[in-house]
Amino acid sequence: MVRVSTPVRWLLRTVAVGYVFLLVAWPVSLVAVQTFEDGFSNFVGIFSDENTVAALQLTLMVALWAVVINLIFGVTISILLVRYEFPGKRALSALIDIPLSVSPVVVGLALLLVYSGRTGWFGPSIESAGWQVIYDSPGMIMATCFVALPLIIREVVPVLTEIGDDQEQAARSLGASGRQTFLRITLPSIKWAVIYGVVLSLARSLGEFGAVKVVSGNVTGRTQTATLIVEAKYQNFEQTTAYSVAFLLAFVSIACLVVVAFLRPQHEI
Amino acid sequence: MSIDVKNVTKKFGDFVALDDVSVSLPKGQLTALLGPSGGGKSTLLRIIAGLDNADSGSVNIEGTDATRLPPQKRNVGFVFQHYAVFKHMTVAKNVAFGLEIRKRPKSEVERRVKELLELVHLSQFAHRLPSQLSGGQRQRMALARALAVEPSVLLLDEPFGALDAKVRKELRDWLRRLHDDVHVTTVFVTHDQEEALEVADEIVVINNGRVEQVGSPDQLYDEPANDFVMSFLGEVTHLSGISLRPHDIELESAPRLAGGVEGTISRMLRIGFEVRLTVLTVDGEEVSVVVSRTHARSLGIAEGSTVWLTPAAGATVIPRMAAVG
Amino acid sequence: MTSALLGPPADIAGEASTGRPPRRRRTAGPRNTLTPGAGLGLGLAMLWFSLLVLIPLTAIIVTAGEGGWSSYVDVLASDQTWAAVKLTVTQALIVTVVNVVVGTTIAWVLVRDRFWGKSVLDVIIDVPFALPTIVAGLVLLSLYGPQSPLGLEWANTERAVMLALAFVTLPFIVRTVQPVLEELDHDVEEAAASLGATRGTIVRRIILPSLAPAIAAGAALSFARAISEYGSLVLLSGNLPFRTEVVSVRVLSFIENGNTQSAAALASVMLAVALFVIVALDIVQRRVANRG
Ligand SMILES: Nc1ncnc2c1ncn2[C@@H]1O[C@H](COP(=O)(O)OP(=O)(O)OP(=O)(O)O)[C@@H](O)[C@H]1O
Ligand SMILES: [Mg+2]
Repeated sequence: MVRVSTPVRWLLRTVAVGYVFLLVAWPVSLVAVQTFEDGFSNFVGIFSDENTVAALQLTLMVALWAVVINLIFGVTISILLVRYEFPGKRALSALIDIPLSVSPVVVGLALLLVYSGRTGWFGPSIESAGWQVIYDSPGMIMATCFVALPLIIREVVPVLTEIGDDQEQAARSLGASGRQTFLRITLPSIKWAVIYGVVLSLARSLGEFGAVKVVSGNVTGRTQTATLIVEAKYQNFEQTTAYSVAFLLAFVSIACLVVVAFLRPQHEI
Repeated sequence: MSIDVKNVTKKFGDFVALDDVSVSLPKGQLTALLGPSGGGKSTLLRIIAGLDNADSGSVNIEGTDATRLPPQKRNVGFVFQHYAVFKHMTVAKNVAFGLEIRKRPKSEVERRVKELLELVHLSQFAHRLPSQLSGGQRQRMALARALAVEPSVLLLDEPFGALDAKVRKELRDWLRRLHDDVHVTTVFVTHDQEEALEVADEIVVINNGRVEQVGSPDQLYDEPANDFVMSFLGEVTHLSGISLRPHDIELESAPRLAGGVEGTISRMLRIGFEVRLTVLTVDGEEVSVVVSRTHARSLGIAEGSTVWLTPAAGATVIPRMAAVG
Repeated sequence: MTSALLGPPADIAGEASTGRPPRRRRTAGPRNTLTPGAGLGLGLAMLWFSLLVLIPLTAIIVTAGEGGWSSYVDVLASDQTWAAVKLTVTQALIVTVVNVVVGTTIAWVLVRDRFWGKSVLDVIIDVPFALPTIVAGLVLLSLYGPQSPLGLEWANTERAVMLALAFVTLPFIVRTVQPVLEELDHDVEEAAASLGATRGTIVRRIILPSLAPAIAAGAALSFARAISEYGSLVLLSGNLPFRTEVVSVRVLSFIENGNTQSAAALASVMLAVALFVIVALDIVQRRVANRG
């Protein structure tokens, strides 16, 4: 192993730590400082603001739906991609990653073009059937699903590949049906990967901003999510509320990361 | 017949893995599928188990046509080369799996698991996770798991392939004894001819997707159907147009026997009790000969000595065909 | 950590690289091994995937094409849009270069150095990924904005754009390079040293070439993310036309003005870039896989 000399090591260490400190650690910690500058009152205050509470509830509802949908979709696709051969598999596995590099605004626009009640491709017919997608929660759930789509798949696929199909085949040879094999063998082996994926998707879903902004219409008290409230409050010069909600969001997302960081090493396969 | 495979062909894309294979395996026997790597042994075993499907041909297990049956309906036990243990279950749970799937009463499951763990000498490890077992112990557990459901046939794919030489030898003897006790029709895959010769009642030699020969170990060793089988079961050398084993060549320091081929010793290697010689004959052939150390000493030979070679009386010889080995 | 999520796409369709003893190859052309149940699952999954991703993205391309080539050119040739494109691409490139240098350094420090607090650093690297983008903007504003404790007034300048992009793209290269560096064979370095290579030579000739594909993959992801960034810029950059307005903001203002066709035209260019990055990644990946 290359041994770097002590000065070089210190230089590299300083660059790494300094960069991360200035860019991430310090700024993030300032949010906490701003929030609790005058004690807890500001932070507690957000829970008495009707619109903010509505936004938090909406955010939670949208995020949970998106995570559940992505969970079902993600696990299904992962198993299909790893365990089966079918034409078009390579293309599908590449397409799955698209949401990672598409701008949230473009995601919003794309959904708008198809599901907008007035001008979208499918929107008018869906609307005449009594459903509203855009400017309502279904659209927001779809936008959130879109941006968080690959996360669970990216956690589960490597684990499925790694464990191979020996255990599943052994179960089949011992008389287990497809369903029994999935529930008793496959699912327990990918359990932790699924949990990480869910936690990360939850963090991502709670924090989605651009795509939701486009499809929600941003109506205060009705389709405004927590991230949209941060923007609105900041621009209305209600900075303390903005910082308090931002702190709450930052706290939840960092908590998700810490949970994952703690879980992972113990259950590495 | 316990297992009847008829005209099975299996292709992967353009590659023919099994080419019109037919074998019948009698009830209660221990059969080895022997052959070089990539020959199609695993493929045949997996088709018998239903883990793969044949493109054409049929598989009959204990009198029922199993060709279209899914693996869980065939009542076969399968033991995988890399154990395929259920990592998240204890040893006892692993063994109980097949019984629980079959919804057997709890008391029966417990009793059976206990019996089986005793049979494979793992009783004290019942509550461990497989990751806390050695390779040999894992494989014994996998075997107990397969036996738990009282399969009509037991299929083992290179069961000892991933183990070190010593454990391998122990488990091999143990499998033979186990089979003598349990008497379930057993097929195991191996590419180790010694393993096959030592343990099996019957050997099926498979190469390039075809069955080369079926027979008892003695039959195969003494009457190999062709050069391939002969060379696969042991060392082979060629002497004036025939194939034979190096230790079946008589070596003389003077032309005493009729038809002796003259040659010079180009290399001489002493390994333990035997001496391996390479003899360059006057016809330009390189022949390997193995003699005992005592015999070599009594002849007083050394590198460069002139010697005469003849096939020993009663040697297994077959006419030389394509150049193999 | 989250390398599985930030790293280059797991090579699913190709050879499954298992850590276990070698298994047989399963690459016999496009075969179909779907059971009826799996086929149904694939059908439903594809239906949802199409409704959610494929059809909407197609709608962008179709809408963009509706006005014909000329309107396409008009949108892109407008001064304000062009300025936004130039700003976005320039800043994304700068940030990517910074990430290549600093990201690789951080990965190196995380793998090869040992010091108190290293595990904390490891967790912090993922913060930009998990933090909502709007919060990221707000967070940066508190250190680099009007009341900066550092005395820096970078809000509403090009610097702010760079800062925001650097923040959100920080994890990409670190998380693609880190696992490769961890797996790097120490024997090779020792062999090189025993053959007389100096430290500099080992880094240049042995380590960097092995990291190059990972760095390239991370850089591609980082660039793709940078050019599509929106949320973190909203509060920080002020969205001043010709000065700090990025492409995503431009698309949004087209949408808000009801000019969906222009929005779609610009969005389709962004999609093309995203697609290009994905294909490039796939190729790099395959190269590396072939090299063994
Ligand atoms: N799923 C598959 N896809 C493509 N080719 C396959 C597949 N399974 C097996 N093969 C090919 O079929 C041939 C026979 O394989 P098989 O596994 O039966 O060999 P084997 O005799 O068991 O060899 P080994 O002793 O190495 O296990 C090999 O050439 C292999 O590459
Ligand atoms: Mg095999």
